[in-house]
Order: sequence, then C-alpha cells, then structure tokens
Amino acid sequence: MAVSASGLVKRFGARRVVDGVDIAVPEGMVYGVLGPNGAGKTTTLRMLLGIIEPDGGARTLLGHDNPRDASDSVGYLPEERGLYPGMKCREAIAFMGALRGLPWAVGRKRAVDLMEAAGLGHAADDKIRKLSKGMAQLVQLLGSVVHEPKLLVLDEPFSGLDPVNQERLEKLIRAQRDRGATILFSTHVMAHAERLCDRLSIIAGGKVRFEGTVTDARATLPFKAHYTPHHDAAGAGALLPTDAEREGEGWRFTMPSEGIEALLVKLIDAGHGISGLSIERPGLHDAFVRIVGQQALEDAA
Amino acid sequence: MSKFRRTLRQTFTVIRRDFTATVFTPTFLLFLLAPLIFLTFSVAGGIGASQITDSSADKLRMVVIAPPAQSATIQQVDRQLRTLFPKRGDEAPPPLVIVAPDANPAAQARGMFDADAFEAAAVLHGPLDKPEILYAARGWGEAQYLAQIAEQTLRVQRAGLGPAPLSTPTRTAVTREQASFSGKGQVASAGVFGIFFLTLFLSGQAVGTMAEERSNKVIEVLAAAVPLESVFFGKLIAMFAVAVLFLAFWATLIVNGAKLLPEGAMRLFADAAPAVGPVAFPLLFVGYFTMAYMLLGAMFLSLGAQTNTQRELQMLSLPITFFQMGMFGLALAGTATPGSWVAFIAEAFPFSSPFAMIGRAGNSSAIWPHLVALAWQALWVAITVTVGARLFRRGVLKSGNPPFWKRRRAAIDTTVN
Repeated sequence: MAVSASGLVKRFGARRVVDGVDIAVPEGMVYGVLGPNGAGKTTTLRMLLGIIEPDGGARTLLGHDNPRDASDSVGYLPEERGLYPGMKCREAIAFMGALRGLPWAVGRKRAVDLMEAAGLGHAADDKIRKLSKGMAQLVQLLGSVVHEPKLLVLDEPFSGLDPVNQERLEKLIRAQRDRGATILFSTHVMAHAERLCDRLSIIAGGKVRFEGTVTDARATLPFKAHYTPHHDAAGAGALLPTDAEREGEGWRFTMPSEGIEALLVKLIDAGHGISGLSIERPGLHDAFVRIVGQQALEDAA
Repeated sequence: MSKFRRTLRQTFTVIRRDFTATVFTPTFLLFLLAPLIFLTFSVAGGIGASQITDSSADKLRMVVIAPPAQSATIQQVDRQLRTLFPKRGDEAPPPLVIVAPDANPAAQARGMFDADAFEAAAVLHGPLDKPEILYAARGWGEAQYLAQIAEQTLRVQRAGLGPAPLSTPTRTAVTREQASFSGKGQVASAGVFGIFFLTLFLSGQAVGTMAEERSNKVIEVLAAAVPLESVFFGKLIAMFAVAVLFLAFWATLIVNGAKLLPEGAMRLFADAAPAVGPVAFPLLFVGYFTMAYMLLGAMFLSLGAQTNTQRELQMLSLPITFFQMGMFGLALAGTATPGSWVAFIAEAFPFSSPFAMIGRAGNSSAIWPHLVALAWQALWVAITVTVGARLFRRGVLKSGNPPFWKRRRAAIDTTVN
C-alpha cells in the first residue's frame, strides 16, 4: 500500500474533526477523498503527511510509520496555496524540489521542461507575483511533482481554476499516474473524481461513509427511468411507482427491482403508449448526496 | 540517506533560500549602508557641535592681574605647569593673560568677566601670598590652576631661582609583562558592549522571519517537506549569515579606516590587554557573538512565529529591546564584580551568558570555563529552537500532544463519561 491509515483521530478542542478514519491506497492508483466542506478531508491528509500528529490511530506512508521518513518521495499541493512572491517560477519549482532532495541545478532544468509541457514556458523567468492565481497554482503543482515523487497528495487541486486550467490539471494528474505515481487527492467536485479516481472514500462528519470504486458508489443507488407517454401523461402516473415525479411531458422514477418490462406492458395495455424511454445510471454526484445526506440525517437523529 | 544528513540538507535548503532572498534585494543595500546614515548625521552633528565648542573654547582665558615685574616669572611657571597636561585635548587649561593692575584691581577683576575680547574662566588679583581668585561657572579647575600659579611663582621668587629647570629626567616607556587590572577591565567592558550592540542591532531581525511564510502560506509546503526544527534552524542561520556579511563589510572598512588615524590616536587603549591573551580573545568574541545571536535570535524567532498579525509583531519590539538591555545589565554587573554571585548568575543564565563570559575572558585567564560555557550556550540554542518549533506546531499548525494539564482534563472527562 502506498498509504494506509487505521482509526485516525484528531480533536480540535472538544470537537473530533476526524473520528476513526481508515484509508488504504494501493500503489499506482488515483485515489479520491471526497466529502463536503468541513468533513475532515484536509485534516486527514495533513495527518497522513505528518504535518500534524493524530490524537489516535496509526498510519504508514510508502511503508514508513513516520511519514517524515518518506518525505523525499512525496509531493504535496496544500489547500492553501503558498509560494514566495519574489521568486522566479523556475526557482520556486527548483526550491520545492530541493526541499525534497532534488539538486537545485536539476530542479531548475526540470522546471523549465515541466513549464514548457504545461504551456507555461513563457513564464519560466517571471516572478510569482506577476502570475494569475490559476497560473501560480499550476506552478505550485509543478513544484510538487518536479522531484518525480512516488506519491502525490493534492488537496482540493481544482479549486479556483478556470475550465481550461482544470483540463490542464487533469492532464497533469493522468501524466503522473502514467509515470507510475500514486495520487491521493481530495475534492468536493464530483465530476473530477468521476473522471480521475480508480477508488475513493467519501468522508462526512469525520468518518468514512463509503469506500470503493466509482462504479461501487454509483451502485449504491438504483437506476432511474425517464418515461414519456404517447397519450394522457397525467393518467399514466397512476400506474407508475410511488416515487414517480412529473418532468415536463414525462415522468422520472426509480427502476422497479423486478425490471421495467412488466410496467411497460401495463402502460401500453392502458393505452398510454411510449413516446420516449431512457434508463439513467445514477452519477457519483447522486451517490455522494445520498451518502452525505444520510449521514446528516443520522447526525440530526 | 541517513536521517541526520537529510535534516542537514533540508536545513541548508532553507538557509540558501532565506539568505539569497534577503541579500539579493535592494533593501539589503539599505540595510548594509544604514550605519552610513548614522555616521553621516553623527559626523555632521559632531562637526557642528565642535565648531560651537571650539569657538567658545578659543575665547576662554585665565587672567592674572599682576605688576609687569612679575610677568616673566608667572609665564615661566605657567609653561612648567602646562607640561602636566597633554598638548592636545580638552584637559589643557586655557591660555593665560597677564594684565597690569589699575587703580582698583578688585573692580578690574570683576570687569574681566564682562570683557568682549575674551571669555574669562578665572581671574586672580592681589598679592601672590594672599591672592583673590574669582571664577565663573565651570571655572573651578582654572581657579585651582591660578592658585598653583601664585604658589609656584612665589616659591621661585623667594628661592631666587632662574628660568632653567633644576631637574632633567630621562623618560622610558615600559611594556607590562602582565595585563593591568584597568587594562583587563577595559577589554572586558569593551567585549560586553561590543556583543551587546551587535546583537541589539542585528538579532532583533529574527523576530519577523516566520511572518513571510505565514502570510504567504508557504509554511504548509515547508512543514510537509521539512521538520519544523530544520525550518527554524535554517532561518536562524540564514539571518546570522546576513549579519556576518554585514559585519565583515563594516569590519573591513573600519580596519582599513583605522590605518588612516593619526599616530597615538589609539593611545587610550594602549594598556588594554585581555586576560586570555590577544589570540584567544577575538576567537572567543566571535564564538560568544555567535551564541548571543543564536540564543536571542532563536527566542525572538520563536516568539515572532506565534504572532498572528503585523501589529502583534511590532508590539514585540519593545519587550525584546528591554530583555536585551536586561541581559546586558546583568552581564555588565557580573563583569564589574568578577567571582561574585552576580557574576555567576550572569555567566550561568543562558541568555546573559555570552555577554558575561566575554567579560570573564577579559578579566580571567582560564580557558576551560569558556569551553564549558560555549557548550552550555549551544545546548540552549538547541533547546530554544526545539521549544519554539513545538510551540509553533501546537499553536499555529494545531498539532502535537496537548499540554499535560489538558491531557489530564481530557482523561478525567473520559472517565466521567
């Protein structure tokens, strides 16, 4: 395992921000830690990296019990981005590499190559303070990969980026995975997780509420059907499952567990006919909302 | 790579970043040349003040109202008495004016103080065996001098001696085998003052060095990659390197400038000799300056790292200055009373130890206490940095174990629940 944690606990005052989190990230995988704001994602990542010490539980990073011992093989993009504004871009990238054991000269050379590849070659000698927020964020990401880490930890990497830079970032993450690196990232934007993650955890209220693949997460919800009758749309509702909701000229409802065929026969026999029918797989977004919503209900109870 | 080597490498990375970020800026040039501002204004002020003083000193006179028959003897006595004073400097008495008495010498003497041509410091009139000496404010020394003029003139007259001196001494300058008490004391005090002023001007800068990382949020990147102790040590050493660069620049200028001084300008320090010897003393001075900078810098860095705003940071400057003054005062008291309990406290208390020990190097020839003291101070540098890093981790990064009283309360709460 590239990362493993069991029973991680962190208290801030009387509040248990992280409450017994277990995570296992296999090597070479893109692993997402999803959760709403304040779920404990950042605190979990910071504990895994050894920036803060847990109040309970154990963790290993690239086989080391003390995350500090693996620090040269780890790259990290924190949620609160931070660069020295007076530094030139390639110097900033080389400095971040040097902190992880990469010689400055090698770091400078790689920085230029990485910036060229990311479409930022023109800014290699610009000072950080001259860059836009999105560009600075990309420079910091390049700084976290310049030493070619085995494990890349990205905390909310897409926040604050425009769609073009989000696309660039996704490309960068895939390139790192193709290089053989393990990537652990947190987000609350499901679209990125759905496109990138091999496995994921959903954290809410400081606890892991789900662990598995994207498909597993989506499978926690039944399929949805969208049916548009040919005649008497209003009357068709009486034959549909109780959760059916009117959507324009049609209806949206959960697929019956025994299948849709029998229901369709009933609708045709009743003279409603079929003007349109689509079966929808629930998205990660729906699964996330259900899992997190369930936790909120549990907490309220 | 071993843990130690990795820590060393990470510390050097922080040093390199901080050093270059400080030195390769226009602000550093201002910092380097800041003493010039001080010197320029001091020289300008000094020249102005000395011109005012000189113009009034040039007009200062001592006056003797005496018959012309006594003038030659009085002048001869004045010449002999003046050999007691250096030719240059403020100690020499002002020129002597001999005036013939008029009908009312007492009124004539009083009138001298209102003369336009000169400024009378003291005036003598009347017979030399019972002279009347009048003197103005701050003219007491000149009055004493005139009293001696009267006494010696009378002696010469009564003995019937001529102008030739009776004694012709041979003067030979002797160099002491051992440092004199005053010479040792002079070096000891100079050492304490030297380290105090250098640390006062330079170590206070350490207080704000973590502010940059906190405001830029770079601290998260550093904390993830490097142990906080390395960050603290790196920053401290980088600031020290900047201070050394500053000192090297000015020391070179001062050493070369000293060569241009006129011969005898350093006569005041001719007797100054440190008890530990002229080779060991500068080495110890460098060692103790390093330790003083590191100790105070580590404390200021740790305190500064805890502040949340620029205002809090600025508020720290006053207590920091007073703390340094306190350490200086303690060390100076110890240096003035070698072997006393005050001296022991000053030498043992880590933050006053470097100042007090350089004073000891001036006063006492034993070397081994300095080796012990340097090791002791180095230990406290490590302790201060470690404590500072832990406080930062706990207070700012919200990490680490809570203090023992909170742990105990949590345990009690758990038991109750």
